[in-house]
Amino acid sequence: MSTVELHDIRKSYGTVEVIKSVSLSIEKGEFISLLGPSGCGKTTLLRMIAGLETVSKGEITIGGRDATRLPPEKRNIAMVFQSYALLPHLSVLGNVLFPLEMRRIGTPASRREKAEAVLEMVGLAHLGTRYPRQLSGGQQQRVALARAVVCDPEVLLLDEPLSNLDAAMRERMQEELIELHRKTGLTTVFVTHDQEEALSMSDRVVLLNGGRIEQMATPSELYARPATSFAASFIGATNLVEGRAHAGVVELDGGARLRLPDGALNGGVSLSLRQEDLILSPPDIATGISGKVINRIYLGARMRYVVATSSGEIRVLADCDTGFDIGDRVCITIAPEKIVVLQGAALTG
Amino acid sequence: MVDAIPRWLRLATAAALVLIVAYLLVPLLVVVGVSFTAADYISFPPQGLSLRWYAKVLSSGDFTDAAMTSLVLAVAITVAASALGAGAAIVLHRRVLPGSAAIGGLFLAPLILPSIILALGLLMLWSRSFGATSLLTVFIGHLVLALPYVIRTTLAVLSTSDPFLAEAARTMGAGPWKTLWRVTLPQCLPGVAAGAFFAFNISFDEAVVSLFLRSPEITTLPIRIYTTLEYSPDPSIAAVSSLMIFLTVLLILLIDRAVGLQKVTE
Amino acid sequence: MTRYLQPLILIAPGLLIMCLAFVLPVGLMFSLGIVSEEGALNADQLTRFLSDPYYLKVGLRTLRLAFWIAAISALIGAPFAYVMARCGKRLRLVLIIAVTLPLMTSVVVRTFGWMVVLGRSGLVPDTLYALGLVRRNFSLMQTETAIVVGMVQVVLPFMVLSVLGVIQRLDPRLEEAARTMGCNFLQSLRRVVLPGAMPGILTGFLLCFSLSASYFITPTLLGGARLPTLAGSIYENATKTLDWPFAAAQSIILMCGLLLLFIPYSLAARSRHG
Repeated sequence: MSTVELHDIRKSYGTVEVIKSVSLSIEKGEFISLLGPSGCGKTTLLRMIAGLETVSKGEITIGGRDATRLPPEKRNIAMVFQSYALLPHLSVLGNVLFPLEMRRIGTPASRREKAEAVLEMVGLAHLGTRYPRQLSGGQQQRVALARAVVCDPEVLLLDEPLSNLDAAMRERMQEELIELHRKTGLTTVFVTHDQEEALSMSDRVVLLNGGRIEQMATPSELYARPATSFAASFIGATNLVEGRAHAGVVELDGGARLRLPDGALNGGVSLSLRQEDLILSPPDIATGISGKVINRIYLGARMRYVVATSSGEIRVLADCDTGFDIGDRVCITIAPEKIVVLQGAALTG
Repeated sequence: MVDAIPRWLRLATAAALVLIVAYLLVPLLVVVGVSFTAADYISFPPQGLSLRWYAKVLSSGDFTDAAMTSLVLAVAITVAASALGAGAAIVLHRRVLPGSAAIGGLFLAPLILPSIILALGLLMLWSRSFGATSLLTVFIGHLVLALPYVIRTTLAVLSTSDPFLAEAARTMGAGPWKTLWRVTLPQCLPGVAAGAFFAFNISFDEAVVSLFLRSPEITTLPIRIYTTLEYSPDPSIAAVSSLMIFLTVLLILLIDRAVGLQKVTE
Repeated sequence: MTRYLQPLILIAPGLLIMCLAFVLPVGLMFSLGIVSEEGALNADQLTRFLSDPYYLKVGLRTLRLAFWIAAISALIGAPFAYVMARCGKRLRLVLIIAVTLPLMTSVVVRTFGWMVVLGRSGLVPDTLYALGLVRRNFSLMQTETAIVVGMVQVVLPFMVLSVLGVIQRLDPRLEEAARTMGCNFLQSLRRVVLPGAMPGILTGFLLCFSLSASYFITPTLLGGARLPTLAGSIYENATKTLDWPFAAAQSIILMCGLLLLFIPYSLAARSRHG
């Protein structure tokens, strides 16, 4: 049963359409990420679910109820803002109590009990009397989460909640968020521009681009089978090349040939070759792309080579002991099953 | 930094600073000095030391009545300007109404328009429509002058605080009025407080509008001082003026306590 | 529509006051200056002002005084604001008080102070007499110098605050960068700080000019009846001779004069911001 349903949602400001027909149904208990570059409409979409942004066209149902025209306070939702939006004049406990008071849930005593229990869950039971400005970024983040989950919302909305934290803290909060989701079982919509965050945390990723859904898939599917060149280049580091397929072999535009996983493809194709799937060898191998190393960058665990080939510059992530130097001639190969065919190929029947 | 500013320039700057600060404060210090004179006429440095002029001022109904009028007027302005200004600033900050920029410009216009023009206009409009001017006319004039200050200080506080607080309150189940009461008002309180102090100060010190609308009823403290200065000032004027200066000092201390002086000048 | 309800309720009282007690009276006043009693458009009052050498002299004096007051304020106020922005915390507090205390004290009181300082047997004439520079019974009162001295003190805080606001937003690292590129301190002031502070100085100049040109309390008390200014003349006509149409006409001339200054400034400011 789906908790949140978006049906043909559109949003325009004047003549500019920022959301162009998005339909999406979010299952109960699901953790879903809205991923995309800035300006793709992910935050607008989230704010429309929250009721903070009006919907130009389409329908939103939350918990089976039509919520399209409901003001935010009448929707049973909770939201964590990028800035956390903790009320500065209220204590930590006051902030967690706030939604319970506003929604008139329980008696004053039971509210307090509940708020304290939630603070306990996020590990802040001892800081209830502090004020937001006295807390560290990570602690503020936890208060914002506690405040959001305290009245069991139908859906929990997270607007880039980790972007204001430093790298170490962000990693920890990622883990805590996943744990919190497992404990509460709340339906969660998570907005991010960070593909790693989206891949590591979600059950499903909705990749947005220019106000449209580019691809909707599980993280592993999105990584292994990107549907479009945008999806391929946004997830992970890749090389996009074009060529013509015939009898199980593709001849790239520069003349090099690669073996394909599927012999049935025929005609013009566009391929994604992930940097970490490519292999560098000395230049005497038959099927591969030959070229010259023009730069190499040490990355600690790996080494990135930039190779000039007849199909343009190709970047390869290789082990550090791959001992090529700038100027060396190399041959790039890839296992056929690792090649991702993006579009354009006609199947010969 | 090593030897960032040449020594001669540091010395010259220090000397200039002392002179400018002295220039700014001299008229106030002189007034306070004169107020303690024992002589029958205005003289500086004061001749002898006494509190006789303070005693005279406090016992003469003339000045205490004027002070009472000024005080009541200033308190009324403080309340009215804070309430109307805070409401207007909150709406202007949200930019929900069409033409918000123009409305904002209108509210701040009295800061730029010379008050003599407002004063003359009020005098003409009131006399034509209602006849003799009254304290109410002065109240309205002062309100127009004080509103932009409250609006400016409130907007300044709102623009530096988290813009998502009100939205967050809505997602937590608070309706528009509850959000206003429980979130937005507490949020802009320091700004309203600073504006309230300014409003009080403006009304208490204002002389231009009050002079134009002058009628027997409208004898505020600045008016009383002005008319005495036109004719025959004696040291009691210095005592009254000093009391006004002391009140200003008190007000500045209060502002510093409430919002911090450093912030007000930003 | 419901989302306009609360904003309208909150802003309505203030807006009403602004319309009834600001737009309406100012508009009425202007119309009175250029409309005759029969309701026809007429410029009699304006020509009366512009054709009378006495009033032309008043106008010129107002312009001259306002210019000097604003210029001197800029010369003193801009460096003062720079020091204020860059000095240590304690000195800063002293300077802030030195600016806000006069600003928040009634002009009537401050003018009284100047009357004592500049008047006969006041501080300044006495000192000058002791130095043998002037004769006994010398007084600075009723001179244009007195008006300038008194008015600069009235408007200087506005200049300082206006420049301070701009300099505080100027990144101090710009000056450090200029120093690393070979500027000495004074050059960095001239090449980096001054251009950055210019908008604030200009705004301050206009503010001080318009305040000086439209203020009558200090000029009347320090300059006396022999040195009338435009604002003083408006006050005379409005409250003593009760010639309102002429007071209105003079206000129009005052406003037009100020607008002539403000319009090129706001056009320049707009083009600067793109």
